[in-house]
Amino acid sequence: MIYLVIAYAFAVALLGGFLVWSLRTIRELERIQ
Amino acid sequence: MNRYERAALAAVGLMLVAAAAIFLYAPTDALQGPVQRIFYLHVSSAIAAYGCFAVVLVGGVIYLFNGSIAADRFARAGAVVGVVFTTVTLVMGMLWAKPIWNTFWTWDARLTSTLVLWIIYAGYLLVRRMAEPGRQAARFAAVVGIFGFIDVPVVHFSVTWWRTQHPGPIVVNDALPAEMLATFLFTLACTLALATVFIAIRYRIETLIDQKVNAVEPAEVIAAPQPEAAP
Repeated sequence: MIYLVIAYAFAVALLGGFLVWSLRTIRELERIQ
Repeated sequence: MNRYERAALAAVGLMLVAAAAIFLYAPTDALQGPVQRIFYLHVSSAIAAYGCFAVVLVGGVIYLFNGSIAADRFARAGAVVGVVFTTVTLVMGMLWAKPIWNTFWTWDARLTSTLVLWIIYAGYLLVRRMAEPGRQAARFAAVVGIFGFIDVPVVHFSVTWWRTQHPGPIVVNDALPAEMLATFLFTLACTLALATVFIAIRYRIETLIDQKVNAVEPAEVIAAPQPEAAP
């Protein structure tokens, strides 16, 4: 059970983190422009 | 909220519904127990990664054919997103392997070829980051992306070409009960939608970076100190 929790926690952290970072990068680059 | 944020919100909503299907609808595997639920996102992420690397392949071919900057941007976007999904596949696979195989890693054909796939496209991104932006780097990266795709069918068919500890295909062999199959197909559709949104967002970032580079370069030329004229 612990491996199931860690696996999905990792997936959420990586995919969610990547999504948030990408959206923030768009905002930052558009602000600079 | 811009259109990328709205698309991201929709994709996150779909993934939450997929999570509900995985944890509330799909039955618990009689043999492996709850840990088998890793399967749904593990396999979906692998297929999403294949799709992303296909974008790199097509983008690279089009770029080499007609020098389209848009195709090169799509290839860059596909490589980043593909590496993210391959990372999810590898790590979730390792965490599934530990309770079932009693080891996180074994050097069988499926795991090794997947690791090689990750290294190829991480190398592609490294080349893009380290090389001076321009046509030379884009051409070289396109060639790496095209030849790197050779590993995708190797990964996919490794379980049938060689004897592996990793299980063979179960979806195409009708080895899943109906509820598990429905959950898997729904999770796959949601993961592909998420990958599409990721690529659209990364494409926008690559466009903005290109515009920034093009805007900065002439200014740098103007700002650069001029050599003093000889007396």
